[in-house]
Amino acid sequence: MSGGIARGRLTEERKAWRKNHPHGFVAKPEATKDGSVNLMVWECIIPGKAGTDWEGGYFPLTLYFSEDYPSKPPKCKFPQGFFHPNVYPSGTVCLSILNEDNGWRPAITVKQILVGIQDLLDQPNPADPAQTDGYQLYIQDPAEYKKRVRQQANQYPPNL
Amino acid sequence: MDNQAVHNIVDVDMELEETSDSFLCCICLDLLYKPIVLSCGHISCFWCVHKSMNNLCESHCPICRHTYNHFPSICLMLHLLLSKMYPIAYKRREEQILEEEKQMGFFSPQFDSHSFEALLGKEFGHLGDSAQTSTRVQESTIKRGIGENMEQLGSVSLILNNGTTIPVQTTGGTVSIMENNSPQNKLNGDRKQIAVTDVLCSACKQLLIHPVALNCGHVYCETCIIKPTDKQIRCQICRCLNPMGCPKVCLELDHFLEEQFSKEYASRKDAIQPKEVQLNRESATTCSIEAGKLGFIASLLRTGQRLPMWADPHSKVHIGVGCDYCGMCPIIGDRYKCKDCVEAIGFDLCGDCYNTRSKLPGRFNQQHTPEHRLELVKPKLVIRHVMSRLVTGQLENGSPAFILADDIFEDGSPVNLPGDVQENTSNDSPATVSNTENIIDQNDSEPTG
Repeated sequence: MSGGIARGRLTEERKAWRKNHPHGFVAKPEATKDGSVNLMVWECIIPGKAGTDWEGGYFPLTLYFSEDYPSKPPKCKFPQGFFHPNVYPSGTVCLSILNEDNGWRPAITVKQILVGIQDLLDQPNPADPAQTDGYQLYIQDPAEYKKRVRQQANQYPPNL
Repeated sequence: MDNQAVHNIVDVDMELEETSDSFLCCICLDLLYKPIVLSCGHISCFWCVHKSMNNLCESHCPICRHTYNHFPSICLMLHLLLSKMYPIAYKRREEQILEEEKQMGFFSPQFDSHSFEALLGKEFGHLGDSAQTSTRVQESTIKRGIGENMEQLGSVSLILNNGTTIPVQTTGGTVSIMENNSPQNKLNGDRKQIAVTDVLCSACKQLLIHPVALNCGHVYCETCIIKPTDKQIRCQICRCLNPMGCPKVCLELDHFLEEQFSKEYASRKDAIQPKEVQLNRESATTCSIEAGKLGFIASLLRTGQRLPMWADPHSKVHIGVGCDYCGMCPIIGDRYKCKDCVEAIGFDLCGDCYNTRSKLPGRFNQQHTPEHRLELVKPKLVIRHVMSRLVTGQLENGSPAFILADDIFEDGSPVNLPGDVQENTSNDSPATVSNTENIIDQNDSEPTG
């Protein structure tokens, strides 16, 4: 029984975001070709945290909401092949709070999701790897891992 | 008349009202509408709670993931409080939700002022005034009006939850009104128009302190709840049993009360302190989340279940069906379905509620009456049910899952038939071919034969 709460909630999320959001972050519903707005897909930008290897990078993230939102979490995707131990090769973020059976709660807001993912960037969870490349370097070759992270941060400059 | 004047006052700062941060639902991020307080003390809208519930097994609080198994009733006290504090926004929400409900074909309990009056008109002929008009005329009538307001609160919930009407005691309510001088001040200066009398404990009839809402929607001070050591808590108003031990304090409401009625709150706190120490000492363990979990498991054990419910071949879990009286969802154990309710959502009771309670009215505004007939219904088989039984090797003869074996047999028979034909043709002389054709004809299943 889905009574279309998703759109109402996303409208409120949009309002709340406009009123106040963390510095450097961007989150806005996708604009379709005919100029209308698709509330179910949000294009976001997560800045790398200052003082970490991720600093200077502005990483594009897309949130895909389903009609079951907020009962079910949105799917969060970085660009394909994004370098991070907890990001699948497809770009999908693997994070407990985004897992319906694990940590997701309908009360989690878009803001909390984005801040949560920003935290994840510099604090990967080696217990839950999602790609071999990032995971193995993180475990076996920290110097190379650092290099790759910095490289990726340069790849995503401020105004992309 | 009076309502008009109020609307004018509020119109001025409608913007303010709309942007208020307190009492927002964390699911729809809008003003709470028909609020429900879960056993962990978190508040959400009726439909927001309902939509975030799990029909298969226990549900989780949308805010803290605390597990629960019973869909609580709407907290009428909060409902009235919010409609009084934010008349415009609440009205807007009402219209919005009603529109959604019309589209869905399912309705939440309807208790707007009209039905209040209708309900009360029937049961209490002398209560003509609606709560809204009577509370803001003159000082003398304010007191009387608030008394009635209280009576309405108590009486409506009585009607809703019990069916049989019990005479309501208003004396406690009016006594405390005389003690409190603040309603006048609040009414004069504050557009929100709320008074201590809007937020009284169901038991001590004083300002709520550390409020706790039971499953039936009635609110008490934490210290006013009678906790039997061996049995479940029972609501002192509607006599409903509260599942899963003592609920947690509703902190949002508590902070609001502390802010709004700081003076009264402080004096109440001082008065309650010694009692509280005692309370903490004797029941430190019964008020935790753990206790809630234990309560849930205990209720499973009581009905002879074990987790996961849907994997147990002996379990009687009615997936997707909730009890319209106590709110248990899904119903575990016996389920009684109403044969006469015409609403799409149906009307069901769990075994306990069928045996002990009156059958009035539904959680989704079903027009159920005690005359309606109820029938015992067996749990529906869901594919996941069957699968899990196959996987866990719990298939036995006679269990409902046997249906599956029948299906395989039926599907398999056309395959067997050509095999028979082959056998016949290879072993016997060509004369018997006609014989096999007969078999095929009799079986009527092989189109090419």
